[in-house]
Amino acid sequence: MTTTSQLSSADASMARFEKQTSRYGSITMLIGLVLSLIGPIYIAFFSGLEITSTMIWVAFLTVAGTFGVLWFVEPLTYFPILGSAAMYQAFMIGNISNKLLPAAIVAQSTIGARPGTKRGDLAAVMAICGAATVHLTSLLLFVGLLGTWLVSMIPADVIDVARLYILPSLMGAVLVQCIVAMKSLRPTVIAIVLALVMNFVVVPMAPAIGMFATAIVVIASIVFSWGLRDRKKIHTSES
Amino acid sequence: MNPQLVMAAGDPGSTDIWAVANSPVLWICALGVFAVIFVQCILYSRAAKKAAPHVDMPINEVKESFRAGAVASIGPSLAVVLVAIALLALFGTPAVLVRIGLIGSAAAETASASIAAGTMGAQLGGDSYTQQVFGVAFMAMSLSGAMWMICTLIMTPLLKKGGSTLAKRNPAVMALIPAAALLGAFSALTIAELPKSNVHLILVGISAAAMGLCLYLAKVLELKWLKEWALGISIVISIVAAYFLHTA
Repeated sequence: MTTTSQLSSADASMARFEKQTSRYGSITMLIGLVLSLIGPIYIAFFSGLEITSTMIWVAFLTVAGTFGVLWFVEPLTYFPILGSAAMYQAFMIGNISNKLLPAAIVAQSTIGARPGTKRGDLAAVMAICGAATVHLTSLLLFVGLLGTWLVSMIPADVIDVARLYILPSLMGAVLVQCIVAMKSLRPTVIAIVLALVMNFVVVPMAPAIGMFATAIVVIASIVFSWGLRDRKKIHTSES
Repeated sequence: MNPQLVMAAGDPGSTDIWAVANSPVLWICALGVFAVIFVQCILYSRAAKKAAPHVDMPINEVKESFRAGAVASIGPSLAVVLVAIALLALFGTPAVLVRIGLIGSAAAETASASIAAGTMGAQLGGDSYTQQVFGVAFMAMSLSGAMWMICTLIMTPLLKKGGSTLAKRNPAVMALIPAAALLGAFSALTIAELPKSNVHLILVGISAAAMGLCLYLAKVLELKWLKEWALGISIVISIVAAYFLHTA
């Protein structure tokens, strides 16, 4: 344990750090938010594509039906792990669970700092800065420059095939990855059964529902998973 | 000046997505987002360096943390690069850089775009995927990403003040809701691919099997990198299969 005077000076400088990063973090995130919207607004409304605000609203609300609950739940989930400073980094850089969290943990163990301590928090923030630097550089070089050049070199018919079949090629793998990562049997079975019923029974009978199919399956999956949850198991794993 | 030069010359019915998706305005916005994140990193590093000596953390540990984070993210970053390149044909470079590389993730953003295209009666990548559909899909996924940031901006200060979060009060709900939502979303989107054609059906199977195999090998042989690369590898295998099935 440190002495009281050391402790209070440490607390004060951590408080200053928190205050500074919260201000820098929220301002930079706000600018990032605005910049990320200027592009699509320009394309949708100033490029002669005849897109109406109704089309945008319908599309947005349907996406909201699918992901809306995660907008609120993800920040809640990651806050205790990341702390407030890193929240503003993480939700702008993205790829939190597959990149930022592992980077933070590696850094903490490199210098032997425990998560949740002051040193641990600073190590995590620095690790995310390091991860972001590598990530931005590799994206600019390998996707921005090399990728664009690569795609322009590939014959048009191969690009057409890739474009036509990218969705099934991505979704099959993503679903398996999601099932393995979640490790929860009941919600998995419930979600797949609901999706099968929706796509092979409900949509063929009432095609108008088609555009809301995903949102309906998501909401029904949450409701049924909660209603049919394994009450015993959840109770014991709560500790 | 010809006013048409100022505006991107879009054609709502054209399927030439790249004509609008690689417009200079989008490139400038994408590079702007990159610049903002770089600036944030610099500001954060400076604040951390200032605080470190006061919490018994020498400067070399600060630098070491930065380096450790950088090295640890090389593999995952290159894995994201592979997936991003596979999606270039669909969304163009600037949109992929911002939406898949940064703010979002390949799975969530492609899902959002696919759902948005569905509301226009169109499918991503097919003959019905016009510039107009791209515009709506890009707008919808950007708005969805913006909502994540808005929630973070509003909730972080609140969570900092209120010590007792929902996560502490009801961990069961916090674990179940996101799991059920993600499983529901990706089950629905994956199974919606099956009736599109026989090729789609086979590809979903190939892609799922490739991922299953990668994850199994990663676990049995304890290959952490394989877990990171699994999505990229599965997509490449499936696209190669698609080429042969399509031309056969």
